[in-house]
Amino acid sequence: MTVDSVLQRTRAYITENFLYMRKDVQLGDADSLLERGVIDSMGVMELVQFLEKEFGIHVKDDDITEENLGTLAAIAKYVAGKG
Amino acid sequence: MCGLAGIARHEPRGVPDEVLRRMAAALRHRGPDGYGIYAGRRVGLAHTRLSIIDLVSGAQPLTNEDGRIVIVYNGEVYNYIELRRELEPLGHRFRTQSDTEVLVHAYEQWGERMLERLNGQFALAIYDRRDESLFLARDRFGVRPLFYALHGGDLLFGSEVKAILAAGEIAAAPDPAGLDEVFTFWAARAPRTPFRGVHQLEPGACARWRDGRLTTARWYALHYESVAAEPADALATLDTLMRDSVRLRMRADVPVGGYLSGGLDSSITCALAAAASPHDLRTFSVSFDDPALDESDFQREVAAGVKSRHAVQQIGRREIAAVFPEVVRHAETPLVRTAPAPMFLLSRLTRDQGIKVVLTGEGSDELFLGYDIFKETAVRLFCLRQPASTARPKLLDRLYPYLAQGTGGAARGGEFWRKFFLAAAAPGDPLFSHLPRFALTSRIREFYSDDVKREAGRRDVVDELRQSVPSGFMGWRPEHRAAWLEMDTLLASYLLSSQGDRMGLAHGIEGRFPFLDHRLYEFTSRLPVGSKLRGMHEKVILRRWARGIVPPRVLARHKQPYRAPDIPAFMDAGRPGYVDEMLGEPALRASGLFDPAAVGGLLRRCRDGRATGFAENQAFVAILSTQLWHDAFIRDFTPPAPLPADRADVRLDDSAAAPPSLEPLLH
Repeated sequence: MTVDSVLQRTRAYITENFLYMRKDVQLGDADSLLERGVIDSMGVMELVQFLEKEFGIHVKDDDITEENLGTLAAIAKYVAGKG
Repeated sequence: MCGLAGIARHEPRGVPDEVLRRMAAALRHRGPDGYGIYAGRRVGLAHTRLSIIDLVSGAQPLTNEDGRIVIVYNGEVYNYIELRRELEPLGHRFRTQSDTEVLVHAYEQWGERMLERLNGQFALAIYDRRDESLFLARDRFGVRPLFYALHGGDLLFGSEVKAILAAGEIAAAPDPAGLDEVFTFWAARAPRTPFRGVHQLEPGACARWRDGRLTTARWYALHYESVAAEPADALATLDTLMRDSVRLRMRADVPVGGYLSGGLDSSITCALAAAASPHDLRTFSVSFDDPALDESDFQREVAAGVKSRHAVQQIGRREIAAVFPEVVRHAETPLVRTAPAPMFLLSRLTRDQGIKVVLTGEGSDELFLGYDIFKETAVRLFCLRQPASTARPKLLDRLYPYLAQGTGGAARGGEFWRKFFLAAAAPGDPLFSHLPRFALTSRIREFYSDDVKREAGRRDVVDELRQSVPSGFMGWRPEHRAAWLEMDTLLASYLLSSQGDRMGLAHGIEGRFPFLDHRLYEFTSRLPVGSKLRGMHEKVILRRWARGIVPPRVLARHKQPYRAPDIPAFMDAGRPGYVDEMLGEPALRASGLFDPAAVGGLLRRCRDGRATGFAENQAFVAILSTQLWHDAFIRDFTPPAPLPADRADVRLDDSAAAPPSLEPLLH
């Protein structure tokens, strides 16, 4: 799985599930999901479940950090690095 | 408890008897035992009565000896016996045993300053014929409601908005700022309401209407001035105040019961009530099918301990959905959670068991810093004092352990969870304690339609709150600032109304709140924070005092927030038809408040079982309740039929008063 495909599929998921009520929001690859109010602590758990199921990876508790999951680009890099 | 309503005319053209009987009909649930009106040229008053004190002669409206002061009143003034003893030697003659008549004479004697002498929960309207003015007032903490609207110099007022609308003189419309406040603070802040042009008197405020103009003033304000160390006699003072507060609140000519949640506060009020009651105490609880929300184990233990006759209202998902439209009709506001619904069902059970008055534990969490938000404030400040510390933020994971159930746990959210709290506000912000909650609740506003979003962009209700904190506020301890915000934004406007007055009075049940005795509030406001909240332990001094009064297991419990199922209550296959109807595109387009595509997205996630977080649960309940509210009050408000004229217990008009020209003859 490439960085780009992870990024596209994750973007589609986030748009459909976290931004469905904010059609005016354009989410950049490097935008902070937390600071832009896209994902809160509950949303993080949902996102982790999605990544595990969609890409067949295991996300360790210690990996749930802003560095790994804070932006679309970070997620893509983290997930692709696991594959 | 009762309902009051009325109209004051700018021009003395009278208020038709029939209009007053319709206003009374809108408040019949608050006072099923009787009703009365005063139909004057300048002022008309209506009253519906729930008989609790002086069952025989306490009917209203009621006048003084010469009929020049006329009152309608909703509430209880617990120290009315003591006030009467002060007034009688001053020459006031009493015809009844009621607390209402004491207020008439207190007003004659002390004017507006009488309010400071009252210990109780009340809303009142006094027509002073001496200068043809109308005086309105509300109790210190806003236990009892009072709404009003000014219309062409006329003043319409009532215990509930529906009484004002029933007059047929103004039409209801949504107030965008009021809705913004509901979707930020959980409720509109007085004087705002969700209705355009309809206001509510602030807690601790009074108002005078004269010649078509209304002047409002605060007669009581919340204040904190804590001492450095706990006074040596603090426990003894607390003991005296708690017992006296309950003793006064047991005054009634009908049996007084108790609501029992299973937590510390209502266990205290029930224990003291049982000791003071001449009858076997009756207690009432809600029990949830969902074990994560249920506290019935503790309730049974306390009920057995105080030897009460205990009754339980079982709550599943279907019960909430079945009554939710009626709950909204009584609350008269959009709601962000379903928690009022079980209280509606509980008051129905209580009424069916023949009880009209209950003591409850409300107010203790505000006075003794019981809510998690106070701990959250302390922990966030502790973390921000050492921003480099990695150990301190882990305390945040311990804050909401009950949220961890079934979600994988907040601890798994680790860094994200902590950052949400730590980045939410700067310590110097007056709203520091509450900004995380406001931010979370405000996400409901993302569902607004484009039109409402445009309108909403013109104001900032959070900043309005920031600008309205009292002078000296930043000199108070941060936990006390949080307590003030909690009381200002939530106590009267949501807890005491949507979960309190409106749900109780839907079935003619009067709640009484021993913790909201102003003497007790003033005592706790001067205690050091450490007497109330120490580390992660809340209500410290109250727990010390309550040893031997409540069972040890209850004493050792940590605060469990009262919650009810939100989205799951409306997602069963057998859900009532109104849910799909109200959230469907035609209904959403008709109200114009929410974006149908956004609501469609939320419904899709609800059906998929993905909408489990706070934000979406609040949004769902908010949107559904707003649609129901719009349907009941704005799209299709039907005024009730007037109460029958021949059933009135009291019918007065201006002839009840001695005309001013005859005055010399009477002396």
